[in-house]
Formats: sequence, C-alpha cells, structure tokens
Amino acid sequence: MVLGLAAVTAVCKGIGPLLPDVPEAVARRTAGLAPALLAALVVTELAGADGVPRVDAKLAGVAAAVLLSWRRAPFAVCVVAGAVVAALLRALP
Amino acid sequence: MAALVVFGVSFGVLAVAGGIPGWQAVLMSAIVFAGSAQFAAVAVIAGGGTALAAIVSGGLLNTRYIATGVVAGRVLPGGPVRRALEGQLIVDESFALGVAASGDPGKPDPEATLISGALLWASWVAGTALGALLGPVVGDPSRYGLDAAFPALFVALLWPLLASRRAVRCALGGAVVALLLAPWTPAGVPLAGAAVAGLVLA
Repeated sequence: MVLGLAAVTAVCKGIGPLLPDVPEAVARRTAGLAPALLAALVVTELAGADGVPRVDAKLAGVAAAVLLSWRRAPFAVCVVAGAVVAALLRALP
Repeated sequence: MAALVVFGVSFGVLAVAGGIPGWQAVLMSAIVFAGSAQFAAVAVIAGGGTALAAIVSGGLLNTRYIATGVVAGRVLPGGPVRRALEGQLIVDESFALGVAASGDPGKPDPEATLISGALLWASWVAGTALGALLGPVVGDPSRYGLDAAFPALFVALLWPLLASRRAVRCALGGAVVALLLAPWTPAGVPLAGAAVAGLVLA
C-alpha cells in the first residue's frame, strides 16, 4: 500500500512540471476532486460499521472542528479540539 | 514548519491507531509526502478497506498536484528529470509559500518553493516518527477521542478549499454520494463515487 501510494503520488507530482499548460477546462475539473473527497471522508468517518452516520461523541467533536475552522482557528487546534470534545463527552457518566 | 511537525505527529499517532506499523507510517511520510492523501489512505485501511482502495483514494486526492506542478513548472530550473524531481517537493504548503514569496499566484518563487518544501519534508517525517513512537503509549484511540480526530482533520483540510461556490458544490455533492453509497458498498467505493461527483460538479 505504502509503495503503491508513493508511486502514484510521485507520478502526480512529477508530471506537472513536464507538461505544457493544461487546458483550463481540465484544471477546473480536477480542482473539484479534493473538496468532494475530503467531504466524503468526513461523512464516511462519521458512519458506524453499517455505513450509516451516528449521532455520538464523534459527531460532537466534528461539530467543534467545523466551528473552529469557520472561526479560522489554526489547523492543529481544530484537530485537537475535535478529539478533546469527543473524549470529554465519553468521560461523562 | 512547527505546524507540520504537529500535523506529522497526529499522522503518526493515528496511523498506528489505525493498524499501520510505525515504521511503515514513517516510510510513508518519507516517500509519499502528501498529508491529505496519507490520512485518506490510512482511514480506508482502518475502516477495513483494501490496499487498492487506499491507493485509489489517496491517489485521487493527489491529482491536484498535477495542476500545481504545471504552474510551478513555468519557473522551476533544470531539465526534465531535475524538474520532475523538484516537483516531489511541491505540496500545498510549499506552493503557497512560493506564491507568497513572489506575490504572483501564476509564478511561485522557485527557490522559496523548493527550500520550504525540503524543510517541510523534514518536519513531516520527524513529526511522523515522533507520533509513531507516541502511538502505542496512547493506547485505545477512542479513549482520547483520537477516532474523532480523523474526521475533525478532514474538516480542517476541507475548510480552506471552500473558497468558491463551485468548491462548496463539489464538497456537498461528494458528501451526499458517499452518504448514499456507504451503507451498501465496501470501504473505498463511496470515495470513488465522491470523486466522480467532484469531477462532474466542478
């Protein structure tokens, strides 16, 4: 897995500097991939084993991360806050 | 740089918590050097997906580097081989620093891009090693909310991308497709579906 991903990444990073300018239309299409995939990762991470998202401590942690991202908090703060909120909720009796 | 060390530590801890051996996590940071793709691949593996699904999800996230590479290629020095190697140091952060140094989004400063890329790579690998060592000490990931750190991290990566209405549309489309596919398809398929949604909606 590590070697496979390394190879794919090396091609993606290495091919750009060799290409002449890509058409605007192609660049615009591929620009849609990252936001779509990251949003999908948020959703799938929130799902339980059956693939359906749960309302639980994890969701609360993500809500905290959304709020902090919106307030332009630094990256690490968002991630740590998400974990801390989930851990605190679970620690409640 | 400090931010990337912290980012690397979180990758190391989460990779180990997700069942990746520590040395593989460090190797991955050293030879892949693409944060969001590495997190995506580890998330797929941790969710029970296959190695192929992990490679595809991570690889699709990296297609954006083709576009940044084309832009950087206008200013990078040297012949084709050297430029392809220099391209390995171009990640979101080093590209942004290069653009900040030149003040022109179409012409990043090559020296600033490459030097910051090399420093970021060292920070990323060192952070991962530290995280991989800390991971087993942390133990059960859900006790410290580490399972919530994964989606929180994807939120934090996603947020700065939502600068245009088109990006918001792609993100919503990707989320909806993943939501619909997740209950009845194996790990990795919802991400592939989201990728298609992103291409169509962009």
